[in-house]
Amino acid sequence: MFLALREMRHSKARYSLIMVIMLLVSFLVLFVTGLARGLAYANVSAVENMSANYFAVQSDADHAFRRSQLSDTELSAARSMVGEKNATPLAVQMSTITADGADVKADITFFAVDMDGMLKPKVVQGDGITNETKGSVVVDSKLKESGISIGSLVKDQASGLTFKVAGFVKDSSYSHTPVVYINNLDWQAMRQGTGQGGSSAQQVPYNVIALKTTSSVAAQITSKLNNVEVITQKQAIASIPGYSAEQNSLLMMIVFLFVISGFVLAVFFYVITIQKSSQFGILKAMGTKMSYLAWSVVGQVLILSVASLTISLLLTFGMNMGLPDTMPFQLKGQTIGLTSVLFIGMSLLGSLISVAKVAKVDALDAIGRTGA
Amino acid sequence: MSAKLMMKQVTHTYGDGDGARTILNHLDLTVNDSEFVAVLGPSGTGKSTFLSAAGALLTPTSGEIYIDGEPLGNKDKSALTELRLQKIGFMFQSAQLLPYLKVEEQLLYVAKLAKLSTKEAKERSAYLLKRLGIWERRNHYPEKLSGGEKQRVAIARAWMNKPAVLFADEPTASLDFSRGKEVVQMIADEVKNEGKAAVMVTHDERMLEWCDRVYHLQDGVLVEQ
Repeated sequence: MFLALREMRHSKARYSLIMVIMLLVSFLVLFVTGLARGLAYANVSAVENMSANYFAVQSDADHAFRRSQLSDTELSAARSMVGEKNATPLAVQMSTITADGADVKADITFFAVDMDGMLKPKVVQGDGITNETKGSVVVDSKLKESGISIGSLVKDQASGLTFKVAGFVKDSSYSHTPVVYINNLDWQAMRQGTGQGGSSAQQVPYNVIALKTTSSVAAQITSKLNNVEVITQKQAIASIPGYSAEQNSLLMMIVFLFVISGFVLAVFFYVITIQKSSQFGILKAMGTKMSYLAWSVVGQVLILSVASLTISLLLTFGMNMGLPDTMPFQLKGQTIGLTSVLFIGMSLLGSLISVAKVAKVDALDAIGRTGA
Repeated sequence: MSAKLMMKQVTHTYGDGDGARTILNHLDLTVNDSEFVAVLGPSGTGKSTFLSAAGALLTPTSGEIYIDGEPLGNKDKSALTELRLQKIGFMFQSAQLLPYLKVEEQLLYVAKLAKLSTKEAKERSAYLLKRLGIWERRNHYPEKLSGGEKQRVAIARAWMNKPAVLFADEPTASLDFSRGKEVVQMIADEVKNEGKAAVMVTHDERMLEWCDRVYHLQDGVLVEQ
């Protein structure tokens, strides 16, 4: 490190420049990662926050919740295997609502759940609803921005039914729309009102069954019930409309940024190393071990990448505080850790080319050399 | 009297078959402590090869070389690196100081490689820099030094780890006559002062007045004048 640090001290401009480039790239990496995570969360938080880890869907539904239709038969079969409490039905319906007294028209998703089951919404403001309440809903707090408050009356455009907002939940989105939770009673009414359901309440189907179970039981259910497939929460999220397309394009950007940062650093250090190859010859002739020189190069890369990463983390946090709430941005410790390790890993990988170049320099070059 | 550098029947050949060129041909040389030897020869006679072989940078095709009594023949690359660090001091053409180290740090660096304690290193570097009259310049970068000053730093750096032998490769090439003479005189002074050996390769015949012996490199052997 003796040489590495002093060289950086002497050529401040040169190393500052590369640090600025790395700073910008790592900032962009963190920002896009945060945005991707934020978008993902804004898209599917309702499913992500569910305590269920598996979902039973109809086997020909292609994992998509809204394409699947299951009835009480499957529910009771599933309950017999995982336990009464660990299986609960979920019905999903996309719709548009309008609110009385507010000039609002919002796309939302109805989640019909058992208000005593594990999918029961966690109300943060106002009151929850029970399975017996009629005409009341719990909605995602994003609807507040549309002027909806507790006590507001919202009207479902499709069925014409009107609901009273009883409470708010946080972070509950499905396919970028806020979720409106209703109980099964209202669900039956809604479906029968549209004339799609059967005559009796029991026959109105659910979409999926949320399960809390182990992978072996999940596999058992799949094999036992012939029209049911049990998928993981991850698979369910990936099948939410728009999720994969959105995440994959962002992921591609992130991967490219990593590759670019690795290459920029590799090329920069390679050029510097070539420039200094006579110095390395002298150093070797004087008795400097190759391992010392390799560490010198790697050390510089490490210092630069860690320093620029630290600054860009600070920048990211600062910017996150200044961002409006409507901007989906989310960076958790785990994501930051992984991104940082990858970034430094790429930088070190890039520095290996320079190390290889240093290894090739022959101490013999030092003798008979007239140049400076 | 002990031999700091001994070269016995050293032969070095480049290429093989018909195209082979013999640069060193059964060359013998012994340099004792407090001896300053000059090797002369026009360019292309193999001075660089001679110096590389003697300085443990190049393994000759045949023959044996001893530095401070240690044979080089059976040593691997890293052992040779260690030996260069401990037993050999190099002075290169145009000084070849590291541009990003201050004068004192040039010396501290080699001391650090040799794992000298910081205190010891500081004392030794101060002693050498003062002797060579560049103590006032210790906090300057090489770019601020004149050619003569650079070579003086190079002398100090070469002597820093108390090597058994100093090898100087055209130390006066980039200097004018009077500066060059000064530098050679300083090398000679240090040889006597430290009781070590030095070998200078040069093509400049005017620089020889302080040398104990002068050789010409001719047809791969050294001929004493």
